[in-house]
Amino acid sequence: MTIIENKALPESFIKTLPGSAYSDPEMFAREQELIFEKMWFCAARSADVGKPGAFKTVQVGRESILITRSRSGEARAFFNICRHRGAQLCTEESGEVKRSFQCPYHAWTYDLDGKLVAAPNLTKMPDVDRVEYGLRKVHVREWLGYVWVCLAEEAPTFEDSVMGDVRTRLGDIESIDHYGVENLELGRRITYDVKANWKLIIENFMECYHCATIHPELTEVLPEFADGFAAQYFVGHGAEFGEDIKGFTVDGSEGFDRIPGVTEDQDRRYFAVTIRPQVFLNLVPDHVILHRMYPLAPDHTIVECDWLYLPDVVASGKDVSHSVELFHRVNQQDFDACERCQLATDSRVYADGGVLVPSEHHIGAFHEWVLNSLQGTD
Amino acid sequence: MIPACPLSALPRGEAVRVDADVPIAVFHTEDGEVFAIDDTCTHQDASLADGWLEGCEVECPLHASRFNLRTGAVDAPPAKRPVRTHQVHVEDDMVYVTLSEEEPNLPPGVSAGSAGAAP
Repeated sequence: MTIIENKALPESFIKTLPGSAYSDPEMFAREQELIFEKMWFCAARSADVGKPGAFKTVQVGRESILITRSRSGEARAFFNICRHRGAQLCTEESGEVKRSFQCPYHAWTYDLDGKLVAAPNLTKMPDVDRVEYGLRKVHVREWLGYVWVCLAEEAPTFEDSVMGDVRTRLGDIESIDHYGVENLELGRRITYDVKANWKLIIENFMECYHCATIHPELTEVLPEFADGFAAQYFVGHGAEFGEDIKGFTVDGSEGFDRIPGVTEDQDRRYFAVTIRPQVFLNLVPDHVILHRMYPLAPDHTIVECDWLYLPDVVASGKDVSHSVELFHRVNQQDFDACERCQLATDSRVYADGGVLVPSEHHIGAFHEWVLNSLQGTD
Repeated sequence: MIPACPLSALPRGEAVRVDADVPIAVFHTEDGEVFAIDDTCTHQDASLADGWLEGCEVECPLHASRFNLRTGAVDAPPAKRPVRTHQVHVEDDMVYVTLSEEEPNLPPGVSAGSAGAAP
């Protein structure tokens, strides 16, 4: 698939992807294989698998992945499949085992490092290597307080891919270190069930042409969003709070103490980062909001959104609802818009797609990246 | 009496399976005691040396019946019969096991001489 050059297109416009790119099951299957199963994928919050034996199962591409923590405290991830006859090992979304994962079919039993530790008649099969026939491992990395996994045989370097996206947006990696994201704690989590293609959600997050129309509360806090650019157009730029705004809250009221490492340059500003293919990072002086997308079908994406605060804010039970409400509304407004676009992707008048205005032209680079990834020529 | 293994090679909290006519499991508990029992669970062919040692009990890794290392008694089904216990003594860092003369309670499909060898 290529973007069709339309000579008649005014210079102000460039084409979007065709409508089918958002609804075609074959395209989605290729995205699962060549994007979600090849790249680093932010799979779980570290604290959600906080102690040995705590586990989560998540959908990554076409695969169910089991994430847990070993006795030594290291995050581990495996394909959630018994090596014997392929039964799904864990059917729960989350839970905790004491010391092993056991297949409910023939009781093949694996320790928290994935090693096969027991099975009926195993001692009669001394030629079976217990590591070789342990659970199939997935690359794991913990960063920003999250467990990232990569299903590829050879993972791309984390520094170039994940950290590279942060560097590209913020200008350097130190800028994010200032927020000490890995030391923040979960104040609130809201899960959104969005009936839209994952790319529509990314495209929406990348542009702010819609902000003045659908985000009245956000535009009140960040007046420059009314110009349609902001968000992710300029490298290293964070949108500045309005003059009368005291904090990043639904009514502009006071937030919490500034995160200690945040600099003067970063104070009273909002920075947004897209980490391809499924993470949005939102940085404000007193908290961080992190979105994780789990694409399940061409027209279905689960978005898990975490609001992260300094530990003392969470521990003291301070009311976070004013800051949560701001981006919760933004999320609802955005996902409603994405669902509205999804409805039209199969219309004959959207078969060739739509157009991007100048403040959205950087989305064209995202489209090129998607298409290149599917050709394996990134 | 059979030499099982050097005690120094068996850290506390661990177990070793010793091949014999009826395989033996030797346990070194966290408290520093050493016990020997039949290695094979009486319910299904599983190695108790691969099980989970807690105090003076081992839990079968397959179906969680627990055997008392001192008496061989089982706490709850699916295993119903006890395992044999064997006398242990340590001399010059070597663990020696004196085999019980009782009949072993082996699970279906396992007989003396058959466990541990490839079929």
